Amino acid sequence: MSTTMQLLRTDWFGLLVAFLLGAIMLGVAQPSFLSTYNIYVILTAFALSVLVALSQMVIVAIGQLNLSVGAIGGLAAITFAGAMDLWNVPIPVAILIGLMVGVAGGALNGVVTHVTGLNAFVVTLATLSIFKGTNIGITEAQPFYDIPEAVKTFGNARFGFFPYLLFVSGAILVAVWVFMRRAVLGRQLLAVGGNRNAAELSGISIGRVVVAAHVLSGTLAAVAGMLAVARLQLGQPTIGDDWLIISFAAPVIGGAVLAGGHVSVGGTLLGVAIIMLINNALVLLNVNPYAVQLLLGALILAAVALSRFRDPA
Amino acid sequence: MKINRYTTVAAAALLLSAGVAQASDTKAALVPGGPHPYFAAWEGAAAAAAEDFDVEAEYEVPPAWELSQQNEMIESLVAQGYNAFLVFPGDASGTNATLGELKDFGIPSATLAGCTEAPTPALFCLGTDVYNSAYLGTQELIKAMGGSGNIAHFTGFLVDPNTQLRIDAVEKAASEHDGVEVIQVIADIDAPEPADEKINAFLAAQGDNVDGIVTTAWVPAVVAATSLRNLGDKRIKMVGIDHDQVVLDAIKDGYVHGTMLQNPYGQGYIGVYAMDLVRSGCTMKDDAPWMTTAQTDRFIDSGTAFVGADEVDNYQDAMVRVTDEIMADFKETYMNCPN
Repeated sequence: MSTTMQLLRTDWFGLLVAFLLGAIMLGVAQPSFLSTYNIYVILTAFALSVLVALSQMVIVAIGQLNLSVGAIGGLAAITFAGAMDLWNVPIPVAILIGLMVGVAGGALNGVVTHVTGLNAFVVTLATLSIFKGTNIGITEAQPFYDIPEAVKTFGNARFGFFPYLLFVSGAILVAVWVFMRRAVLGRQLLAVGGNRNAAELSGISIGRVVVAAHVLSGTLAAVAGMLAVARLQLGQPTIGDDWLIISFAAPVIGGAVLAGGHVSVGGTLLGVAIIMLINNALVLLNVNPYAVQLLLGALILAAVALSRFRDPA
Repeated sequence: MKINRYTTVAAAALLLSAGVAQASDTKAALVPGGPHPYFAAWEGAAAAAAEDFDVEAEYEVPPAWELSQQNEMIESLVAQGYNAFLVFPGDASGTNATLGELKDFGIPSATLAGCTEAPTPALFCLGTDVYNSAYLGTQELIKAMGGSGNIAHFTGFLVDPNTQLRIDAVEKAASEHDGVEVIQVIADIDAPEPADEKINAFLAAQGDNVDGIVTTAWVPAVVAATSLRNLGDKRIKMVGIDHDQVVLDAIKDGYVHGTMLQNPYGQGYIGVYAMDLVRSGCTMKDDAPWMTTAQTDRFIDSGTAFVGADEVDNYQDAMVRVTDEIMADFKETYMNCPN
């Protein structure tokens, strides 16, 4: 098989070409696309969204769906912000509390899914309501405003076009890539998603893997939520409400098989990048507001279809 | 099935309350469409009204912005004995069905902050005249811009019928001035992450070309104020909406020219007062000075006011004044009461 054919069969190459073509076309149509500030804006949105996508991707890897990604992220966000605002806890402790919320939320999803044998779709639909209800109960729909300057500064600092937030997301992206490629547990996630019975017969503890995947998913969502607090400079109770579409679209564009067993960290990264590009283009090209949702949906669908066309199997 | 279930809970509640409407029996629920900081003032309004009018009144928030969840919450509240409802319609048409079921069981309702489509069982709609608010806000912005320049309009969800009214009002205000143009409308950004992404993308692309920003939804106002502060940009004039602390601080610090206040507290307070009067036997006057909007011909303006740097420290005063004005002759103006 030629190198070109090998590249074409990867999850990421076609997406990379599509992204670059899109970026070039947008740069020609609207030169401000390539301005330092606009690239910073895109990378900032990317830094948050890629964690959301990875949070869903690890669940897709085991052949399940997690509807509560945004609700966990939102709960972690307001817990993180509230701990600093109401209790004046030091930032590292607040981060730890936020992470614990993510771990606990993910563990609840994983344990309930495994113990009851219910479909994760149903379980996370219910826990979505629990997490969101807890969020609203704590905040009464009011934001936490008193966020330490250090957090606000970090959320909006940049080197040229490179936001500091991307240091966190980039490090996690690499860690998840290594985890899925090299770690035993990462490979077990894919094994369980690919063929649950075969995985069980080969000695893999299904329950442990399912719970681990959900804990990882919850943790990633929690980090995304806390980064959103830093970026927005306040703990908005509605953080996470808007994550559902991108959480599914990016991994699927990136070549993930919803039935489980195959996901691509690189593909998911490019899936997020393409969605960011589409979002940015709709603003830069001053698309009629009534057409934005339609075009966004159509373009995401086109991206998904193209990724499937590349690999019809 | 839904009607049957509804019938059961409503009947149970009516049995509990014996179907006798007396002022002291009033147990009003204030139900927004979902969690949103705009409605938080309803809680204080309900508490104040409960004390002032010797009734029960509670603010109950559905867990999400979904009509079904709001309907389920209303059903649950009926089962708990609530006998008057003040509702922000989760859907301008869809909410009518729920309010109709309440009416069938003798439970009065009105809509607050947003209206249902006529014909509607809601006795009245008490809310901001959003067209007027957006129009006045844009006029203030144009004044601050020196009478000419390019405007960007950041607004809320397109499914909210108020959004189109706001878009039209901003266009109308701009069209009345030579040299003023609305160069871009960004909608569906009443949530923090998309607002942050799209407003900053706009500023990246058009920051040098835009002279004024008008926002007509809560979250875009907060995000735009934050973005202008982050950029250190005081050249671009901005008129926001509502009273989020971020917007008020940005007004004080000169990053935002002013904000168009709405009156959620007055809506809740007056709403409970009116429901108590209805339960004590009053009816709404057909010949009251109702305003007509795109949705209803029984609209009452709860007031709006521009607050700039000079008024920002005492911004509540403006709304208290408006509330007092409406309360002063509300009963005589809008209701027929026994005695």
